[in-house]
Amino acid sequence: MSEKIQGNIAIPGIAIGKIMKVGQSLDGYMAAYTPGSAEEEVSKLEEAIDTISAAIDESVEAMRAAGQDEQAEIMEAHSFLLMDPMLTDGMNDKTREIAHAPKAVLEAAQECAEMLAGMDDEYMRERSADVKDIGRRIARHLLGVKEPEIGEEPVVLCGFEVEPSAIANISDDKIAGVIMGQGSTTCHAVIIAKSRAITTVVGLENRVEDIPEGAKVLLDGNEGLVLVNPSEDELAAYEAKIKAQQEEQKRLDALKELPAETTDGVKVQLAANIGLPEDAEAAAKFGNQGVGLFRSEFLFMGRENIPDEDLQFEAYKRAIVACKGETCVIRTMDIGGDKPLAYLNIPHEDNPFLGYRAIRISLERPDLFMPQLKGILRAGVYGKAAIMAPMVISVDEVKGIRAVMEKAMAELEAEGKEYSKDVELGIMVETPAAAVMTPVLAKYVDFFSIGTNDLVQYTLAVDRVNPQISKLYDHFNPAVLQLIYRTIKSGVENGKWVGMCGEMASDPYAAVILMAMGITELSMSAPSIPKVKEKIRSVSMDEAKAHLERVMAMETGAEIREYLHSKI
Amino acid sequence: MQELNLKVLNKPGLHARPAKELVKFNKGIESEVVIKFNGKSANIKSMMAVMALGAKQDAEVTVTIEGPDEADVAKAVTEMFANGFGFPDEL
Repeated sequence: MSEKIQGNIAIPGIAIGKIMKVGQSLDGYMAAYTPGSAEEEVSKLEEAIDTISAAIDESVEAMRAAGQDEQAEIMEAHSFLLMDPMLTDGMNDKTREIAHAPKAVLEAAQECAEMLAGMDDEYMRERSADVKDIGRRIARHLLGVKEPEIGEEPVVLCGFEVEPSAIANISDDKIAGVIMGQGSTTCHAVIIAKSRAITTVVGLENRVEDIPEGAKVLLDGNEGLVLVNPSEDELAAYEAKIKAQQEEQKRLDALKELPAETTDGVKVQLAANIGLPEDAEAAAKFGNQGVGLFRSEFLFMGRENIPDEDLQFEAYKRAIVACKGETCVIRTMDIGGDKPLAYLNIPHEDNPFLGYRAIRISLERPDLFMPQLKGILRAGVYGKAAIMAPMVISVDEVKGIRAVMEKAMAELEAEGKEYSKDVELGIMVETPAAAVMTPVLAKYVDFFSIGTNDLVQYTLAVDRVNPQISKLYDHFNPAVLQLIYRTIKSGVENGKWVGMCGEMASDPYAAVILMAMGITELSMSAPSIPKVKEKIRSVSMDEAKAHLERVMAMETGAEIREYLHSKI
Repeated sequence: MQELNLKVLNKPGLHARPAKELVKFNKGIESEVVIKFNGKSANIKSMMAVMALGAKQDAEVTVTIEGPDEADVAKAVTEMFANGFGFPDEL
C-alpha cells in the first residue's frame, strides 16, 4: 500500500512521476566546504555570478522562443536583480569580510530579502523571494551541489518551498508535478506552474521531508492528495480515472463552441464567477460568455490601506477587456467582521454575517465606495460593465447607491476623466427581504442576480459551514424555490434581466428549471460551464416548463431532487 | 558637480519601470548619478536602491551628478523625469 499524504489543492490534474527534492538544506555541503583566502573567495564568487547570470539569460531566451512569456518575465526579473549592485556589492563585501563565499552569498541575499520584505511596495515585497532564490542558486554553484539530473522519467519537484527557477528550468515533458510544504497558492512558483498547467499540491508542511528522493508518487491534484509508492492496484485505478477524465473532457471540450440553448432554441447566457481579473482570461477555455460575478474583495484584502481608484480601474479594465463585449458584472466590496481589515476598523461582532458588512459599510464610507464606483465607471469605457451591490435589503439602499453613483459620475465629469454612462446597476438578491421586495426593487435597478449561497443560508437559517446541519442546506428547498421564482418573475414583468451567481447556477438540473422560470443568465465557476451547457442542450423549453410545474407543486427538497435526477 | 531638484511625475512614483530605465541609462554614461530623497540616497546603477527610496508621484528629489559628462547627463536626466521616463501612460 502507498503512503497517503493529504495536502491542499493548488492546480488540479493527475500526475505520476519520480520525486526530485529541491530547496533542501545546504548545511551538509556547507560543513564540507573549505574556503580559500578572501581574494580566492571573491574570484570564485565572481565566476559563480557570471555563470548563473549567463544561465538565466539563456533560459529567458528559450522561454521567449517557446512563447512562455509569463515565465520569461519572472526569470528576467532574476537577471535584473543579479546585475544589481545592491545585491552583488553586498555579496562581494561580505565575502571579503568573512572569506567564505557561499556563506556570504546566503547572508547577503537574506539581508537584501529582508530589506525588500519590509518595504511599502508590493512589487518589491514580491522580489524578496526572488532574491533568496538567486542567493541559493549561487551558493549551490559555489558548493558544487550537482544540479539534479533529470532522466527519462518525468519528475515531481518536492520541497517545503520550491524555487520558481527550479520549475522554470525543466521542460514540459520532463516535469509531471509539484509538491510544496508551504501553503500559498499565489506564490511565484504556483503562478509559473499554473501558466504551464503543471499539477500542484501545496500545504503538506513538514511531511514533505518524509517523502524520499527518487520515490514514485501519484499526485491527485483534484483532491490535493499525494500517494507515495503507489501500488499496482492504485495505479490501475487512477489510470482508469485519468482515462475517464480525458474522455469526459473531450466530450465537454466539443461543447465549447456550441451555444447554450434548449433543443427548441431558447438561449441562456453562461457566465463565469471570478476572483481575480486574470481568471476572466482563463475562463475562455470553458466557453464562458462574460462574467456574472467578479468578487472585488481580493483588491481589498492583504493590504493596509484602501486600494485607490487607479489601482481598481486597472483591475476592472483587465477583466472587462477579457469579457470581449459580453457583460462583466462587478460586485462591490462584500467584506464584514468575518474578514476584519485594519482600515475598515470593524469592532468584534458575534454575528458578522448579520452584521456591519458589504453595502452597509460602503454606503457609510464614501472614502471606500467612491474610488470603487469611479474605478468601475472608468473601466466601463473598455467594454460592458455592470455594478452589483451585495446584501441589499431595501429600496432605500438602492436609492442611496444610485445617489453615490451619480456623484461619482459628476466627479469624473469635473475631473475630465473618460467614463461610461451605460454601466448598469443591479443588486444581488441574497436576503429574503430583497427577494420578497423584488416587485418594488425592480423599478430601481437594471438587473437582479440571485446569490443563492447566502439566500439559502438566510432563508433556511442554516449556517452553510456548520457540518451538523449541512443536510438542511438545500437550494431545492421549496421555500428557496418560491423566493427565486418570485425574483425572476418580478424581473421579467418589469423588463429587467435576471441572473444567478451562486452554487445553484452550476447544478445542471437546477439550470433547466431556472430557464423555465425565465432566467437569462447563469454564472458559475468556469469549469462547471460545459456540464450545465450539456444538460440544457438535452431538453426543450416545453419539457422544462412541464418539469417546473411539477416541481413547484412538490412539498420537499428531497422530492424535487429525486424527481429532477430521474426525469431530466 | 551638478545638482538638480526634480519632481517625480509618474503616477506609480519611482517604481520598477522608471528604475529599470535609469539602470539602462547609467550604462551609457561616465558620471556617477545619485538621487536623494527623504534622507536616503541611491546610486542609479541599483534598481533596488532607487525603488527603496520610496519616492511617490509629486515627490521632490535632489539629483547629484559628478563626472566628465555631467552637463550632458544633467540635461538627459531632467528630460527623463519630465517625460515620465518614456512612459506617457504613467503621467
